[in-house]
Amino acid sequence: MADTVSNPFAAKPSAGRGFESAFFWVFRIATYLILAAGAFIFADIVIKGVPTVAGAFRTIDHFPYVTNTFLFEAPETLYVFEHDGEKLEMGDREYRAFREEQTAAAAAAGQAAPAFNATTYVYSSGGIWPCIVGTVLLVVGSMTIALTLGVASAIYLNEYARDGKFVRFVRLAILNLAGVPSIVFGLFGFALFVLMGPKFGSVANPDMFSLRLWPFHLYLNFEGWGVSLLAGWFTLAFMVLPVIITASEEALKSVPKGFREGSLALGATKWQTIRKNVLPYALPGILTSSILGIARVAGETAPIMFTAAYVVRDKLPWEGLANATDFVFQGVMALPYHIYVVSSKIPQNDYTQRVQYGTAFVFLGIVAGIALTSILLRNKLRGRYKW
Amino acid sequence: MSSANSDTAPASPGTFLIQKERTRFFGLTLDECIKTFFGGNAVVAVVVLGLITLFLFREGADFFGQNRESLRVYRQAGLEYVDIMRETERDHTALTRYLFDIRLQALKALTADGLSVAEANAKLAAFDDFSYAYGDAVLNVRGLVSDLTEAASAIKTKANVADDRRIERDQYLAAGMTAEAAAVTVEDVDFATEVKAITGTLPFYKDELTNFGTELERVVTELPVLPVPEVQPRLERFRQLTRQYVAGFPDNVERLENWDQFAPVPLSRSFTSFIFGTQWLTASFWQDWYGVVPLFVGSLMVSTIALFIAVPLGVGAAVYVNQIASPREQRFIKPFIEFISAIPSVVLGFFGIAMLGTALRAMSQWEAMSWVPGFPFAERLNALTAGCLLAVIAVPTIFTLAEDAINNVPRAFKEASFALGASRLQTILRIIVPASLSGIVSAVLLGLGRVIGETMVVLLCAGNRIAIPDFTEGLAAFMQPVHTMTGIIAQEMGEVVRGSIHYRALFVVGLLLFFIALTINFLAQKIVRKYRISVG
Repeated sequence: MADTVSNPFAAKPSAGRGFESAFFWVFRIATYLILAAGAFIFADIVIKGVPTVAGAFRTIDHFPYVTNTFLFEAPETLYVFEHDGEKLEMGDREYRAFREEQTAAAAAAGQAAPAFNATTYVYSSGGIWPCIVGTVLLVVGSMTIALTLGVASAIYLNEYARDGKFVRFVRLAILNLAGVPSIVFGLFGFALFVLMGPKFGSVANPDMFSLRLWPFHLYLNFEGWGVSLLAGWFTLAFMVLPVIITASEEALKSVPKGFREGSLALGATKWQTIRKNVLPYALPGILTSSILGIARVAGETAPIMFTAAYVVRDKLPWEGLANATDFVFQGVMALPYHIYVVSSKIPQNDYTQRVQYGTAFVFLGIVAGIALTSILLRNKLRGRYKW
Repeated sequence: MSSANSDTAPASPGTFLIQKERTRFFGLTLDECIKTFFGGNAVVAVVVLGLITLFLFREGADFFGQNRESLRVYRQAGLEYVDIMRETERDHTALTRYLFDIRLQALKALTADGLSVAEANAKLAAFDDFSYAYGDAVLNVRGLVSDLTEAASAIKTKANVADDRRIERDQYLAAGMTAEAAAVTVEDVDFATEVKAITGTLPFYKDELTNFGTELERVVTELPVLPVPEVQPRLERFRQLTRQYVAGFPDNVERLENWDQFAPVPLSRSFTSFIFGTQWLTASFWQDWYGVVPLFVGSLMVSTIALFIAVPLGVGAAVYVNQIASPREQRFIKPFIEFISAIPSVVLGFFGIAMLGTALRAMSQWEAMSWVPGFPFAERLNALTAGCLLAVIAVPTIFTLAEDAINNVPRAFKEASFALGASRLQTILRIIVPASLSGIVSAVLLGLGRVIGETMVVLLCAGNRIAIPDFTEGLAAFMQPVHTMTGIIAQEMGEVVRGSIHYRALFVVGLLLFFIALTINFLAQKIVRKYRISVG
C-alpha cells in the first residue's frame, strides 16, 4: 500500500550505517572462512577416502556374507606386476599363492617358470583392522582410568573441599596439567612407565630397584613395562585428566544446592547424599562431556609414539598370549600412528595414497563421530534438566 | 523444655541420647574414609605434575655433565684448535659466495638486455678469471686444515676407544671377572703430546696465511671491469670486505697462539652451548652439537604464522558469533567450530602432506602472486604449510575462549552504551572488545601454548631441516623448511641409544618445552586475574 505509514523510528541509511554493515561483513567473512576451511579439509578426506573403504567390500561364504577387506584385515605389502599382458595388483598372501599356482602350471606344461617382475609397496594392501583394534583398546583402557580418577577428584573438589590453600593448589595443578604439550606426556610416559613401571615378581630383580611387599613373598620390581598397552593407558589417562575433571565439576555444579540440603536434612550422610541425590543427576553431564575427552584420547599420536604404538605387528592383541597378564604388556598398532607411518615413513605414490586416505577417512570418521555424539547429546541434555 | 527441669543439674553438654554405632577403619569413620579416598584422587593431578618434572629431570639432568665431557674432549683433542683455523676458510667461502651473487646479478642484467646466456657468459669471462684466481688462493690453507682435521679426529677416536675399553674393564670388574678385566688393555691418550703434532703446524700455518693474504691483496688490486656498470659498486664493496678479511688474519693467529689445550670447561659452558648454540648436529664424525636455537626459532616461526592467521580469524569469529550473528547462525557455528577442534592433528598433518603443501606451492608459482615475498618457493613442506595447519588447531581454542570472555562482559555495559546513543559498531569496538581484552589476550596466549606444543603437524609438514632460516631474505624466511622442538623429540627419540648424550639432550628439550608451556599458562591466568573487570 502506498499510504502505509513508514516507521518513524527506522534507521535512516547513512554513511555511518554503510560503514557499519561493511565492517560486519568483514567479521562474517572471517567466521565463514574458518567454517569453509574446516569443511574443505573434511570433504577432501571423505571424498578421497570413501573409494578405498567402499571398494573393499567382498562377499564371503559364511555369516555375515559381506566383509570389508580394508576394515577387517591386517596391512600387507602390495605387489604390482604384469601377467599375460595384464596389470595385476595383489596383496602379499594372494600374490604368493598366485605365483606358486602359475609356477606349478608352467611346470606341468613343461615350460620354464614365468618371471614375475613385481614392484612392491609396503602397507599398501590389506587393511587396518589391527590399528582399529589397538585404538579401541587404548581408548577404553585410558578412559576407564581417567574417568575413575577424574570423577573422584571432581567430587572431592566440588562436594568435600573447602576453599583454601590446598584446593587452590590442586586447581592450579589441574590448569597447568591441561597446558602440558602432548609430546611431553609422551616423554614422561616413556621415562616413568616404559622404563620404570613396577611389575610384581616372586623374586627380586637384582638389576633394578625392587621393593619387597612385606609380609608376602612378593616383590615390586621397577623394571619397566616396555612399550605396552598399560604404559599407553596411563600416559593418555593423565593427559586427558584435566578435561575430565573440568567437565565433571561443571556437571556437579549444575545440580542445585537444594538437592543436597534436602537429603542432608533428612538425615542422610554426606556419601549417601552424593550417591543418591547428586551423582545420578550429574552423571549424564559427566559422560557427555567426557566423550569429548575420548575424541582427544583417540586422536593423539605423540603420547603413544614411544609408549604403546608399534609400527607393525602381525598378531592381534588376543592372539598368542602365554598368560593373561601378558595382554596389558604388549604394544599395539594404532590408527593415528599408522597414518603417521604411511604418510611420512614410506615412499609416496598412487598406491600408497589410497591406503593413506582410506586410513585418514576411517580415523577421522571415528573421531568426528565421537565428537558429534558428544555435541549433540549435550545440546539435547541442556534442555532436559531445568531446575 | 519445662521449667521443672530448669533447676536440676545440667546434663553434660553435647551428648546425644541416640548414639549411632559407627564402624571405624584406622580411626576414621566410613564417611571420612570416603572423603580421604576422593581427596587422594584429587591429589593425582598434583602428583602427576610433580612426576613429570621429576622424570624429565631424572633423564635429562645428566645431559649437562655429559655435554661438558664432550666439550672437554673437543678442546683437549685439538678439535677446537682446528675449528679456529677453519674459520679463515669458512669466511673465504662466504666471500666467494658474495662473488657468485654479483655474477648472478650481472648475468640477469645482461640477459634482460636481450643477450643470450652464452653471449652474456662470454662477456663475463674476465670476471670469471678473477673469481677463479680469488677462489684458488685458499687452496693451500684449505689443504692444511683438512690434514689437521684428520689428525684431530684420529686423536678423538683414540680417546673414545680408550673410554669404551675403560667401561668394558669396569664392567668386568663389577662382574668379578678379574682375568678378563686384566686382559682389556686401555691405551690412555696423552692429549698433550698428541696435540703437539697439530699445534706444531702453527708457524707453517702463519706462513701460509701471509702468502694467502698477499695473494688475495694482489688479486683484488685490479678489479675486472664489469659490462654492467651498476654492479661495479658491489665489486668495490667486495674489495673492501676482502681487505677487512685479510686484516683479520693476525687476530686469528693470536687466538691460536693463546689457545690453551687444558683450559677447564666450566659447567656453564655446557649450559650456554645448549641454550645459545646455533647448531643441532648429531652423529657427526667431527663433533656433535646440541644447540636448541634452530629448533626454538623454528617453533617460534611456525607459531607466529599460525597466530598471524588464527588471531584475526578466531577473535573476529568470536565477536561475530557473540555480538552480530543471529541466534540461528550461533546455534550452527559454535558446534561447527567445536567440531573442527576435534580433527586429530595427525590427520591435519597428513592433509598438509597430501594436499595443502602441493596446493600452496602451486599457488606460489602463479604470476599474480609473485609480489609476495618468498614466492615462488620450491619446498613443498615448509614453515608456511605447517603454520597454516597450526592455525586450524589454534582457531577453535582462541574462538572458544575469546567468545567466553566476550560473553562475560556485563550486559549493563552494552545497554549503557546504547543508551548514550552509540551505534552497534561503536559499542563493539569501544566497549565490548576493550572490556573483554584481558580474556582475549589470554585466549591468544593459550592458543600459542597449544600450537607451540603441537607435534604431529610440524613433524609431518614443517620440512624438518635443522637450520636457522636465512633472515637476510626478509619474509621469505617463512617459506623455508624448519625443524621444531616438538618435532625433533618425536623424530629422534625412537632412534637414540638410551642413556646417550643425544637421548638426554632430547629430554632437556622436553623439559624446556614443559617450562615454556607452564610459563604461557601462568601468564594467561595472571592476565585474566589482573585485568578482570568486576562490576559492583
